[in-house]
Amino acid sequence: MTSVARIFAPNERGKKINLPPYLLILPTFIFVILFTIYPTLSVFRASQEYYHPNRPNRTQMTDLNLPGVEEASRSIRGPHEVGLAYFRAMLDPSTSEGETFFQVMRNTLVYTIITVPVTMLLAFAFAVLVNRSLRWIGIARVAFFYPTMLPLVSAATIWLFFFTPDYGLWNVALRLLGYTGQENWIINRDLGLWALMIVSIWKNAGYFMIFYLAGLQSLPQDVYEAADLDGANWLTKMFRITLPLLRRTTLFVSVVAIITAFQNIDHALVLTNELVTGEADLLLYEIYKQRFVLGNYGFANALTVVMILVLLIFTLSNFFLSERGSDER
Amino acid sequence: MKSRSLSLLLALFLLVIAVTGASAQDSVKVEIYFPIAVDSPITEILQGYADAYMADNPNVEVVWSFEGGYGDVKNRLLTVAEGGGELPALAIMLATDIYDLRNAEVIQPLDGYASEEYLADFTPTWLSNSYYDYDGDGTQELYGIPFQRSTVLLYYNADLLTEAGLAVPSNWEELATAAQALTTDSRQGILVPNSWPYWVFQPFVAGAGENIVSDSDVEVFFDTPAVVDALQYWVDLYNVYHATPVGVQSNWGDAPGALVDGAAAMIVHSSGSMRTILDNADFTVGVMGIPGKDGGQYTVTGGGNLYMTAGIDDATAQATWAFVEWLTQPERTVDWSIQTGYYNTRSSGFDLDAWKEYAGANPQADEARASVDFAAREFSVQSLGDVRDVFHAEILAVLNGELEPAAAMAAAQEQADQILSIFK
Repeated sequence: MTSVARIFAPNERGKKINLPPYLLILPTFIFVILFTIYPTLSVFRASQEYYHPNRPNRTQMTDLNLPGVEEASRSIRGPHEVGLAYFRAMLDPSTSEGETFFQVMRNTLVYTIITVPVTMLLAFAFAVLVNRSLRWIGIARVAFFYPTMLPLVSAATIWLFFFTPDYGLWNVALRLLGYTGQENWIINRDLGLWALMIVSIWKNAGYFMIFYLAGLQSLPQDVYEAADLDGANWLTKMFRITLPLLRRTTLFVSVVAIITAFQNIDHALVLTNELVTGEADLLLYEIYKQRFVLGNYGFANALTVVMILVLLIFTLSNFFLSERGSDER
Repeated sequence: MKSRSLSLLLALFLLVIAVTGASAQDSVKVEIYFPIAVDSPITEILQGYADAYMADNPNVEVVWSFEGGYGDVKNRLLTVAEGGGELPALAIMLATDIYDLRNAEVIQPLDGYASEEYLADFTPTWLSNSYYDYDGDGTQELYGIPFQRSTVLLYYNADLLTEAGLAVPSNWEELATAAQALTTDSRQGILVPNSWPYWVFQPFVAGAGENIVSDSDVEVFFDTPAVVDALQYWVDLYNVYHATPVGVQSNWGDAPGALVDGAAAMIVHSSGSMRTILDNADFTVGVMGIPGKDGGQYTVTGGGNLYMTAGIDDATAQATWAFVEWLTQPERTVDWSIQTGYYNTRSSGFDLDAWKEYAGANPQADEARASVDFAAREFSVQSLGDVRDVFHAEILAVLNGELEPAAAMAAAQEQADQILSIFK
């Protein structure tokens, strides 16, 4: 046996370290370390640093306007090590960081709590609607799926026109339904967040429909036949058979939808970018704004840490939940 | 035979390497980040300048690097600087970004390069956002050389005014009543794109007697009677005179087209749109500053300056400055103005035949030029992003009918003072 063949031979004794698999994942692993693990760790470190490169490098007596930082003679530009000051500030609504953080988390929560269920409900309804063998049903499927194919930027740009006061399609439709309220949906403290939610729902419902459609089409037909024999009506079949059988699809879709809700930023950049202050800012958008528009690096990094933790929780829960699901089967 | 031709080839090859190597050693590369902010063939015009310059200066290589909008150029520059990458020698960025850029240590003072004689030929207004006393020693240093500059103007359909028997408006009252008289079911009397308000708003504030900024970089004046008056006037334009759409209008991009199509009788817009408007309108276009509350005309400067980056080697800096001087020679600034609609920033340029000829054919260009002399300093302070944010938010709250002007501006002042407190 040549040495190469020996390396790739199955490990008979089971004690020797089996090198080849590790060698094979090494290139990927290096990339993961370089581009995922290292940046994640460095953002944790950077979140403990005050750095305002758009402030002059002037030394003065200052507590940097951060809680827990003692007043001292230091540069207002930084960088300075401030420990967990940004996290303390974020939990203290009387600081500007805290005020922003609470507002952004509230916005993101409202956004998620509304868009995720509505999107899923629509996705399921669309899937049920198009899961029939009718002539021309392909057209309906395309129509529902079409928004998914658009990049979010394009979708938002289209909605920019829909939301136009006076003659925009959205306002015209609402007026026909008797709406008499404000027509400026985008640059508006009250409606900006709703505009983002509407675009997101319109964009994502068709995408999640695909998962439900795939789920529906793979359902076993025999249970339905049995239900028919028992005289079950449409409602019973829906709630007793279809929904329970689609449980895992629903779980998967809900986790993906929540993560998507946290990751969407494009529509905010197109619609409400720098125009609505605070009231429509979502977490990821706020990170961009603090970092690139306001130059508040430490706060942007601290927000990124929060973002990473939130996404980690959802990803891990998805991982464990779906693992458990497959064991059950 | 074969080996002789081979060695000949080799010798030739070595010679080529030696020659190019030598020229590479002598030649200096001047890379310039440039934003594309308007709808004109900027890239071709600039490449033409570069080619002309390189033909006369073979040891200099001028490379334009187009990076998107103003924001993209600034972000790119800051990101490259932070990552330790290779910075361009020169960049066009907003005149108002001077504090952010200097604080981030990406630009360098130009006092050692610019002669007094050179600076004296710039119309002084353009230099109002070019100086910054960074080190706090009481002397302002020069950072920005005016190049891609604009002002806020009132464009009006002169034919409609004449038809209605109206004079060109000379104060707020006349502007509002004229706009009201010209409003029909299919036409707005006036469009004031106000979704990114501060720039378009400043001439109105100045017209009420004050500016929102002074020469100080840590002070704003958001709650003065002038600001409240101007904001109330904006609201009155739709609430009292019904001469413009209600509330926030996100129509910056549409307004010039609306004027040209007859969907608007007057618009408030950038001088940079003049080229498009004049080229497309089939009526007489009138151009002026924004009428003041009690008469007079007001405007504010805008646009971008040339900044030289910090940390470039001396040879590059010298070559870069030589190119800056060449690019801002009156011949170029006039040509640039004629081709793009941006202003000629050099006073002596107005004496050139090229300008006289152009202004003769386009009297509006001369009217716009007059606005420069009374233009106010554009809003720029430390932490500009933050301070502008609160100002915008409160203005938009008023336009959305949530707050009264006085209360909103008091709130804006309080928040701005809080943000700027770290500098005091």
